Amino acid sequence: MAIPNSFSFELFGAKKRNMYVLSRRRDRCERGVAERVNGVSSVAEALALGFGSGPVCLASCGPVLLPWLGAEPRELRATGRLLALFLGGRLAGYLAFAVVAWAVGAAIPVDPRTRTLVFGLANFGFAALFGISAFLPRRHCPLLPGEGTPRLYQIGSADRFRPPAALTLGFLTGLNLCPPFLAAGVRAAATRSLSGALLFFAVFFVGTAVWFLPSLAISPLRRFSVVPTVARMTMGALAIYYAYLGIVCAASWRLAPIRAGGLFIFITGMVSHA
Amino acid sequence: MKRLPAILGYGAAVLTIAAAVVGPLFWFGVFTRAAATTALRIDPIYSGGEPARTLARDGYQIVVYKPVPKRSPLSPSGAFVQIVWTPASKLPSAISEPLDLDGNGRPDCVVSFQVPRDPKAKLQVTVEPLTALVLPMHQVSDDSFSSLIARVNDTVVVRVPLR
Amino acid sequence: MPDQARSIVLAPPRGIGRSLLLTLPIALFTLLLFTPVLRQPGLPAKLAALIAWGFMLTLFFLMMRTRETYRWRRIFFITLAFMFPIGFIWDLIALRSSMSIPIEKMISGDTPFCFMVIPILLIPAALTKTLIFPGSILPTPSNPHSIAMMVALWLLATVVLGKAWCSYGCFFGGLDEGFSSVAKKARLRKINPQWRLVPWAILVAVVLLSAATYEPIYCMWLCPFKAVTEFPAVRSVQTGLQFGIFIALFLGLVVVLPYLTKRRTQCAFFCPFGAFQSIFSRTSIFDIRIDKEKCAAGCVLCQNHCPTLSIDKDSIQAGKTLSTCTRCGACVDVCRKDAAVWHIKGTPVGLSPERARLLYLYAAWVFASMFGGSIIANALQKLIGLLV
Repeated sequence: MAIPNSFSFELFGAKKRNMYVLSRRRDRCERGVAERVNGVSSVAEALALGFGSGPVCLASCGPVLLPWLGAEPRELRATGRLLALFLGGRLAGYLAFAVVAWAVGAAIPVDPRTRTLVFGLANFGFAALFGISAFLPRRHCPLLPGEGTPRLYQIGSADRFRPPAALTLGFLTGLNLCPPFLAAGVRAAATRSLSGALLFFAVFFVGTAVWFLPSLAISPLRRFSVVPTVARMTMGALAIYYAYLGIVCAASWRLAPIRAGGLFIFITGMVSHA
Repeated sequence: MKRLPAILGYGAAVLTIAAAVVGPLFWFGVFTRAAATTALRIDPIYSGGEPARTLARDGYQIVVYKPVPKRSPLSPSGAFVQIVWTPASKLPSAISEPLDLDGNGRPDCVVSFQVPRDPKAKLQVTVEPLTALVLPMHQVSDDSFSSLIARVNDTVVVRVPLR
Repeated sequence: MPDQARSIVLAPPRGIGRSLLLTLPIALFTLLLFTPVLRQPGLPAKLAALIAWGFMLTLFFLMMRTRETYRWRRIFFITLAFMFPIGFIWDLIALRSSMSIPIEKMISGDTPFCFMVIPILLIPAALTKTLIFPGSILPTPSNPHSIAMMVALWLLATVVLGKAWCSYGCFFGGLDEGFSSVAKKARLRKINPQWRLVPWAILVAVVLLSAATYEPIYCMWLCPFKAVTEFPAVRSVQTGLQFGIFIALFLGLVVVLPYLTKRRTQCAFFCPFGAFQSIFSRTSIFDIRIDKEKCAAGCVLCQNHCPTLSIDKDSIQAGKTLSTCTRCGACVDVCRKDAAVWHIKGTPVGLSPERARLLYLYAAWVFASMFGGSIIANALQKLIGLLV
């Protein structure tokens, strides 16, 4: 039986177990996962892994994606474009992390401290973007595509600050390092080339992305005038929560050396296991 | 025909009253029995998961559970393995036991704790890792769901955090 | 009621004989309900059952006699909300000498289940077949309030009452209803109706976050009623922060704001379970309608007296209340023109509203007696046990 951190879930009766091994070097795996990955079988495996992990990915990204999609009145095609941009940003986050990891010779940088830092930064990013979207007044709304400045559909309306929303949010979720991502990362790290690893990741990503399509169902709901208001209020609440997570991660990252020295400082539940 | 909606409405109202009267007599039992047939289970972070294997000792048993993973980066509790000593009343006064958590035949950690006579006394556990699998614990009581020692009914439950 | 209005019930009181006759079915049902308790040994249990039985019957009789609903329902609801913590905390102190939940109880599954977490459980249960709440699925001798039992109860309540759960079932709602009744006049009158959308935002946020984290986020961070039930022991900065939030939310939303506004502010502006229950508002066969022809232009008494702001100008124009209506009866009792009336779907509006009210009250009071009455009896038993 291979452990630890094995991730398993049941979906519609089909049990799928994703195993991954924590390792600092991609050429040495404690549990013997490394094997030759080639061609069609690796693409099929990536697709199956992605499709099986999709619900969990959607659940992890749901708090970020769904309120934001609901917050602006847009037609279905515009929502589809936003979703595509979000997923593109998410893929960019995944691939960026994979490239960096490959470049430094590690499988996936699963050092808890590094993960905590990245995770904390991502949470602060969510908090900032959601806070701006929820609380800043809007002087003009990015409406239907083609109107206004289609700057990847901005958050906020202040002329001085217009972060590209879809790509940014997607990128930040891509840095989340959820268990399915780590599982794919270990498999991808077993490939012999960077291009093979990136291909594995990209196909894995496509498998997960299928599960995001139902989020387009938010579009017809926006004909009810309360939906964008509720969505913005939700983003406000989530901004507070993500800010808290960011603070906890920052505290954990800062205090980890002290804890490693044997002085146990229990700050929060997150610190003890981040 | 015009009166049909009204008849249906009154009929539904009467059925609602009947449901309120009869419901407590039959519904709770039916629903509970139906719930028992589903595959639903309490989150392993509370229940500890499913037993993997039982080790026999002199007068007591050690039940090693399957690992409970950390399911989400947002989840504050980490991965752990639950180990249960039962019955607590038959345990020696001190336990120090190397344990194989992953079933590969090699011990992964040494779990040590005292067993006070007073069942309400606080327990503390020390876990010394023997492999990279396990995180250390030093005189831990019940810090979190993934690292604790607790007396639950007539058992001693230890949860060992995993890396 | 807000602004110290008195109910204006235009019809004369019903005769005593007729009122007693209408109360008889409830008397028989509640007698059947309390008989097992009356057979228990010990004077406290018998006395408590008798008092609770008499209490529920008296209120129902008064509803029949005076033709009012809100005033008597409110007495039951506030009593339920203040009695529930007495019984609940008593059991905690007796068992554990503490209101804090020990981790051993969570591991052994001996924690009672709370209905407010039901919407949070759905997505993780669908995805992974796990219930992200400590407890036991089936009833056990040490935990009769299992998840299956409470969900069954909630389903029954939803079928019978719909959103009226928030007026007859919820053992927390009476707390802010009680504090909203203290002041004679509202000190804060202008309330932005956008605040009514906050419960939906909280619901969406906690459902999504709970699905992402596999934690019952609402219970861990946002439940004001942890202050009067049970909570994790304060042993770290996080649990200290959580406890502080519970206390602040309870004092703010359940005590201070209801006192200042004379509205049920926790229920109307925060409770995510209330928002969830609003989804089932339209499934109930009973509702409240507003007869526009009888409604006096510019009156808006019903709007001003609704404890949950479930009536506005648009809904009056549409002839009905909003989906957040808890069927408390305040608007019907205060309407001077008999425009706001009880109604059974499918029947003409305004045709026999009293018949609709009677049928509704039979359903609601049967449930209230079964659920709330037993909670009141349980608490009374503890209190009487102190004296006897």
